[in-house]
Amino acid sequence: MSESPGPDADADAASAGRFGDLTPTEQGVLVFVAGLLALLALGLVTGGLGPTYFMYLIGLVGMYVLLSFGLNAQWGYTGLINFSVAAFFGLGAYGTAILTADNSPIAGGISPVLGLFVGLLLAAVLAVIIGIPTLRLRADYLAIASLGLAEVVRLIVLNEREYTNGSAGLRGIPGFFEGWPVLSTFPQAMPGLRIEIVPGSPIVLQQPFYQALLNVGLVFVFVAITFLLLRRVHRSPWGRVLRTIRGDEDLAEALGKNTYAFKMQSFVLGSVIMALAGVFYAHLNLFVSPGDFEPINTFYVWIAVILGGSGSNRGAMFGGFVVIAIREGTRFLNGIEFIAFDIGPLRLLAVGVLIILVMRFRPEGVLPPQRELIWPSALDDADVPGPGETQRPHATDGGEQS
Amino acid sequence: MSDTESAGDPDPAADGAAPDADAESTGSVYEGANLDKEDVVLEVDGLVKTFGGLVATDDASFQVERGTVTGLIGPNGAGKSTLFNLISGFYEEDAGTVTVNGADVTDATPHRIAEHGLIRTFQTPRKLEGMTVREAMLVGPQSQTGESFLSLLTAGDTVREEERANLEDAQRILEEFEIGHLATQAATDLSGGQMKLVELARAMLAEPEVLLLDEPVAGVNPTLANKLRDQIARLNEQGVTFLIIEHDMEFIMNLADPIVVLDRGSVLVEGTPDAVRADDRVIDAYLGGGE
Amino acid sequence: MSVLEYLANGLVFSSIIVLASIGLSLVYSIADFANFAHGDTMTVGAYSALVTFGFVGGLGARFLGLPLGFFVALAVGVAVAALVAVITQRFLYDAMDVDSIGMLITSIGVAFVYRALIQFQFGSDFVEFGIQVLRPIEFLIPFGVRMTLHDVAIIVSAAILVAGLHTLLQYTDLGRKMRATADNPSLARVSGIRVDRITLWTWVIGAGLAGAGGVFLGLYNQISPRMGFNILLVVFAAVILGGIGSVYGAMLGGFLIGMINQLTPILTDVGIPIGIEYANAIAFVIMVAVLLVRPNGIAGGQGAGT
Repeated sequence: MSESPGPDADADAASAGRFGDLTPTEQGVLVFVAGLLALLALGLVTGGLGPTYFMYLIGLVGMYVLLSFGLNAQWGYTGLINFSVAAFFGLGAYGTAILTADNSPIAGGISPVLGLFVGLLLAAVLAVIIGIPTLRLRADYLAIASLGLAEVVRLIVLNEREYTNGSAGLRGIPGFFEGWPVLSTFPQAMPGLRIEIVPGSPIVLQQPFYQALLNVGLVFVFVAITFLLLRRVHRSPWGRVLRTIRGDEDLAEALGKNTYAFKMQSFVLGSVIMALAGVFYAHLNLFVSPGDFEPINTFYVWIAVILGGSGSNRGAMFGGFVVIAIREGTRFLNGIEFIAFDIGPLRLLAVGVLIILVMRFRPEGVLPPQRELIWPSALDDADVPGPGETQRPHATDGGEQS
Repeated sequence: MSDTESAGDPDPAADGAAPDADAESTGSVYEGANLDKEDVVLEVDGLVKTFGGLVATDDASFQVERGTVTGLIGPNGAGKSTLFNLISGFYEEDAGTVTVNGADVTDATPHRIAEHGLIRTFQTPRKLEGMTVREAMLVGPQSQTGESFLSLLTAGDTVREEERANLEDAQRILEEFEIGHLATQAATDLSGGQMKLVELARAMLAEPEVLLLDEPVAGVNPTLANKLRDQIARLNEQGVTFLIIEHDMEFIMNLADPIVVLDRGSVLVEGTPDAVRADDRVIDAYLGGGE
Repeated sequence: MSVLEYLANGLVFSSIIVLASIGLSLVYSIADFANFAHGDTMTVGAYSALVTFGFVGGLGARFLGLPLGFFVALAVGVAVAALVAVITQRFLYDAMDVDSIGMLITSIGVAFVYRALIQFQFGSDFVEFGIQVLRPIEFLIPFGVRMTLHDVAIIVSAAILVAGLHTLLQYTDLGRKMRATADNPSLARVSGIRVDRITLWTWVIGAGLAGAGGVFLGLYNQISPRMGFNILLVVFAAVILGGIGSVYGAMLGGFLIGMINQLTPILTDVGIPIGIEYANAIAFVIMVAVLLVRPNGIAGGQGAGT
């Protein structure tokens, strides 16, 4: 594909670049995402999909993009196998819910902004606690320990009723903008609208829609901030050390890098981003329960990251769409009466088969990372051959396949 | 390697002494070149390592003097690689001490030992997937500002300046090694010999006082092997101390002095290449070890 | 309940964990990856036995309070678990071109596929073998131990299987080759050992033992699609406790973790407010603590942690 060092190339390569310049894979990805959006839009205009639910789904896509960013910062950058995504996500959600929910046994009614910070802090603390014993060891220990840890966290949330309300969950969580000027009353202030694109199936936009719209705005802000942060820190000496650790940890140590410290930073960063997704979810869904800690939620995110291309942020975004496609696709199939499949095993099967297929046939993912991890402005300044002057390493599709 | 020798340097390879002079003025590590040879940069004393009853290193002691190229040879299973792993901190010794530049690093982690100026390479380097050659090179420089997460957010300008300087250093060293054209290629596309050259080049970016090379020419074609030998000799003239494990006798005998012969985990003989060649015990060890 | 009874329960549960741990550890050392599908292999064994038992349940005389048909079902459970694992190994793992971490991730996918297929067929509810629940053995009641003949059957069967494995490893040609391969695959290969065959046998034995563990778990508790995945973490805890790759370490780890798991009620008895709902959590915490102080497990040798 054409490489321009412009700052947004990574982000808009899939959208702004001319279609013909893209590799077949990128075209495929674009077609998939466009197709999915078209399908959703079709559902919207024909009345099959309520506008509020439509916005809810878009919000969920954003949430999975955030989760994928988080896992990408761990697995994609550094090769850390974190199987407790659901725990960090759940902690973020419960962190804010415990402070803000109506039926919170501890607090309630506190500002969601404070909840945001508590959720992120909880995740950071937990990440350090689990990181200390496992990050010094072989990579697969983290996999095992983190899956166990996720279960411990789930058990605690389920059983410590006096703090978490147990299996009943926490309800009555306010929207994130509760108490904010203008935004808190935005949904009520907006007029009800009735749009009829296809005759006979009008789209009615009312208060819940505007609430959902606000949520989409919120997740967009979260995603944008995270994306900008990750892009800044990844193409740097820091990101380079992480990638070296991923390839050969002993080598990084031999070159004087404190790999344990780097792994810890990567682990905490990713976990905090997952918690951010959890905070968003709590204020989107307005209800959290121990079910949010189910391992399947962890592996949805794994699908997103390994399919998208480990280490690549645009891959992570693509992965977010795929997860929604799985979730909604299975829901759709379940709606067809003569297929008497339960939705649970169907999703499990989809996740399992996808993991196997990706690892078997395309372990580097669909959109593997393409950037040199060198501080971009330094690359422009330095008196060295530019990227255009010699063959780039990943100029061809799948160039980094081993 | 310092900023003072900037990218303009026309052909440093032809002018081996220049970087050394430069480095001296900026207080770089290569000031070691002018110290007298009695100065010990690495000292191994009474190292012992056993693996479940099997003695891999048995009371090994020797010194590496500053400014030398010291060869470490011995039959298969003599414990050369184990010794490297003990020195560089990858294994924990059962007994004995390791001193680098006068500092006791016996219990230090590998990255701490690297900070003390001891850099090592690996016998079979894993290829860094998804990295270009220069990207892999840039992991070499020590204590980069941009390796700190916070600095990336607060000190972007410093990071940029350092990155620029490091990039240019990397490019210059690659060109000294006559592989400048490989800079933007994928590290995974390199041949084994090229990879060894890149490793050596990268190690130079770390500005080591003593460089441990584990079989630098194993699996490398003769042309590249000669090139590697020339580079090692050139860098040694600039003041870098080397400790090299090598099976290729011709290669190591032509390059190193002194030679340390390891057998069954301990030092058998130490001396000039000629002395080692003439020593019956060495021949016996090789014949015995070859069984 | 008395401490003796907790110990008795611990013995039963340990037997199950030991069977599962050995299989996981064997595969870990020879196939060189953490097989996250191992728990679901147990589930496969349990359901295969369940189906078989439906046909042959009434068969024959009783032994240790169990109809002979149960032992037929056990054999089928072991065989099917081994078969499924070997098929997976042959057609998937063998064809993979990824490192051990990639294999680990793949095995998660495999675990989900196993479980999803079981769930399609049998639903997600708990089921039981439907063997009449026995009265506790009278002889033991005065000691405060209520233990049924079924529990004894589990312990005895597990002991026989473990003894059989020990004999295999120590006294047969296959066992020696397995140990050699686990120790150093490349050395084994140059020594003329047909590593492919050894690997195949490792899968057969490892998955077979897992299948047996699954059947016993189903007899001890209940059968459900999640049973294997839920217990997998306890099994991993046992393997790590014993030291990854060490079969005898896995036995010891399995024994300890199983005991600790069933001794959890003691905590409440002595006034520590940690209930049995945290029995599994305690296993994980112990695992993490072991990792902190002895990364190579209580039976493992020392070496570089990285």
